[in-house]
Amino acid sequence: MTAGAQRATLVPDPGSQDATIPVLAVAAGTELYGFPLSAVREILMPPPLTEVPRAANHFLGVIAVRGEIVTVVDLSELLRLEDRDRQPLGRVILVDVAEELIGVAVDRVVQVAQLQSDQIEYASAMSADLSEYVVGVARIPSESVATSEEMVILIDPRALLGGLT
Amino acid sequence: MSDLRDNVQQEFLAEAQELVEALSRDLLLLDEAHQRAERPDASLINEIFRSVHTLKGIAGMFGYKHVGAIAHALEDLLDDLRLGRLDIGDPLLDVLFDSVERFQRLLSLEDPQSPEETPEVDAYVAIVRSIGNQPASDDGDPLHRYAIGSAVLSVLTEYEEHRLRACIREGMQLYRLRATFDLTAIDDSIEALRDVIRDDAEIITYLPSLEGGNDESIELVVLLASRVPESELKAHFEGQYGAVEAIEEQTHLPTIPPQLTSIPPGTQSLLPQPEEESGQASLRSVANSVRVDIRKLDDLMNVVGELALVRTAVGRAISGLDGDPKYKHSLRELDRLGRGFERQLAELRTRILDVRMVPLGQVFSKFARIVRQAAREHDKQVRLVVTGANTEVDKLIVEELADPLMHLVRNAIDHGIESVETRMRLAKPSEGTLALNAYHKGRNVVIEVEDDGGGMHAQKLRETAVSRGLLTAEASHDLTRQEMLNLVFLPGFSTNESVTDLSGRGVGMDVVKTNILRMGGVVSIASEQGIGTKITVTLPITLAIIRALIVKVGGRLFALPISAIREAVPFSQQDVRTIQGRKVITMRGETLPICDLTPWFGLREVEHQASRFVIVCEMGNRELGFVVDDLVGQEDVITKSLGQTLSSVRGFAGATDLGNQRLALVLDTPALFSEYFSSSEVQPSMEARA
Repeated sequence: MTAGAQRATLVPDPGSQDATIPVLAVAAGTELYGFPLSAVREILMPPPLTEVPRAANHFLGVIAVRGEIVTVVDLSELLRLEDRDRQPLGRVILVDVAEELIGVAVDRVVQVAQLQSDQIEYASAMSADLSEYVVGVARIPSESVATSEEMVILIDPRALLGGLT
Repeated sequence: MSDLRDNVQQEFLAEAQELVEALSRDLLLLDEAHQRAERPDASLINEIFRSVHTLKGIAGMFGYKHVGAIAHALEDLLDDLRLGRLDIGDPLLDVLFDSVERFQRLLSLEDPQSPEETPEVDAYVAIVRSIGNQPASDDGDPLHRYAIGSAVLSVLTEYEEHRLRACIREGMQLYRLRATFDLTAIDDSIEALRDVIRDDAEIITYLPSLEGGNDESIELVVLLASRVPESELKAHFEGQYGAVEAIEEQTHLPTIPPQLTSIPPGTQSLLPQPEEESGQASLRSVANSVRVDIRKLDDLMNVVGELALVRTAVGRAISGLDGDPKYKHSLRELDRLGRGFERQLAELRTRILDVRMVPLGQVFSKFARIVRQAAREHDKQVRLVVTGANTEVDKLIVEELADPLMHLVRNAIDHGIESVETRMRLAKPSEGTLALNAYHKGRNVVIEVEDDGGGMHAQKLRETAVSRGLLTAEASHDLTRQEMLNLVFLPGFSTNESVTDLSGRGVGMDVVKTNILRMGGVVSIASEQGIGTKITVTLPITLAIIRALIVKVGGRLFALPISAIREAVPFSQQDVRTIQGRKVITMRGETLPICDLTPWFGLREVEHQASRFVIVCEMGNRELGFVVDDLVGQEDVITKSLGQTLSSVRGFAGATDLGNQRLALVLDTPALFSEYFSSSEVQPSMEARA
């Protein structure tokens, strides 16, 4: 379970014409976050977690996935989302980060969205001061009846999870 | 594509490394023989020649041109040596020893073709060549004094001729053995003969005789050199093989010109040449072994772990059927099969572990060269004595062990063993002894590095520690002698520039200790001034599987490696006293510091703990009791790393799967010890005394 040779990216290959980027949209708190599908290995029903004492708050613990020990981080905690009680685990998505596979605990998996590159508003083009792991934002069709579109924040998993301590 | 190239490259490097190690080992034997003023064993020189020859070959294939150039020059030099055109001597040995270092450096380069290396390599090659140009002393050709027969002489290879000369020079008697061999099994028979003869005599060559033999068999004339008296040799071989006759030394020279035609052409091909034959032997041994990436063994071990889990699950499913009379018969059968399966699984695990084991000699052989070098540098005489080189440990441990042991060996020579003059003055043997001993002790392997040098001056160590601000002068007065010796393990105890004015040692001893602890081992010092120093390293045999005590702390399961545990005793809160803020209990009249793991790990106390336990652990010469909520049982566990992300969390060596998706964190006892004992409130005088 090592990292794939090519880097999972949300930035389309400039050479390719009709670049669609598959993105896994997940819910954490009240927001939607998108991970490049190419970096997601697996979506798990939450297995029993083993807490690691003395680890930082955003580490929920470790789980066993086919003989490997995988660290699970809490996305909400990591993103310092407020207005949130610790809920029962929704899903754990296994994300490939450089040297390691890391489990990211999310409340819900929402959908896989096929994003066209022109649907993405890149952070570099925005004036807002965003965290370095935010690649940009995109709008995807909403599941709820109240709105037709929802905003999904696109995440660079390496920037978010690489070198985490 | 690049992966493939990497793989091939890795394999080359692994093989080259092995060859260089073998070279290093053999050179040492050669040196030993030379120091004892013995003539080196011909097969040893051949072995060295072959290593270099093979290295040259593969270096060429993989574009390591510098390695190839050096190997090529050495090959020529060694060829001269084995053909007796050169005499062995210190300059020659120095050049050979030097090559080992050069090979290792060149093999570690990013760019094997690096032009920066060229001048250095060229210079070395020139030295090698210059040594090769000093021909051996020639004391006249003794060959013609024997009635060997010019027909035979003319077909000898240069090497055989050299061996023949060398044997005569050493005063061996030459013999001719006539033996008849079955044509269909000739290779095996010759091999068998070789084995039988080896102890008594050296086979120079064998040639088919022109007389004996028929369609099925062939008579060979075997030319032997031996120190064994003729009668004894006859008794050994006559019945089994054929006539033995001595070849007498003659006073007149034979005048018969060589007759090349006396040997039928083509016959020679029947005969395995000694050279080629040994080449085949080594090829065969290569074919019987496979180089395996250690990670593949880890994967296999994982599968075994998974299988064990499946087995448990099946067991649970079966027990669900229990009590149903309908299945009574089948259940018994399933139970029996289940047990058989478990046995096989245990066997599989043992076998895989066995594959990971390599003899410690692999590391020790590296030291032989270092000892020789370091002794030369310091102009000391050091004899290296190795025992237990066959002691096997996990490959990973062997790799990890090389650096710490290297430190210990160097320290023993640099600071332990005295100069020749000092030793003479002290009426010690002028040659110091450095012993490397390895042996198994229970589930551990013990390695001792022992020297008969000056020993360590405990008081000086104490003064040094105080002067470096590692402890206060007041605190230092309470130290026992053993505690003073242990000061060398403190980080920052010694720095390179201070080495010379220290009577003790200490270069990087803290690093040594850390490395050993990381492997789950312990290191301890014993030293007597004027007599010597012994550093003892105790390590688990394998890192892959450890026996652990499963305990409950704060409602969670943890595994505590049993190697560090001395005993587990019931704990009662009333017994706890406090000394300078530290909790201690008294056990058999001794004060034992204790550490309650629940608050230590920041876990919430579980209420209504009826009976808690103190697990007394031992590390080096310190003791510490861990207070836990409950004991669950013993298990063999495979420790898996927590991964990069959690590597900064202290106190856990990894996690282990207890089955049924339950994980337990494996406690890192050495880390917990050092954390406990180095935390700020404690002074060295407070530490548990051995």
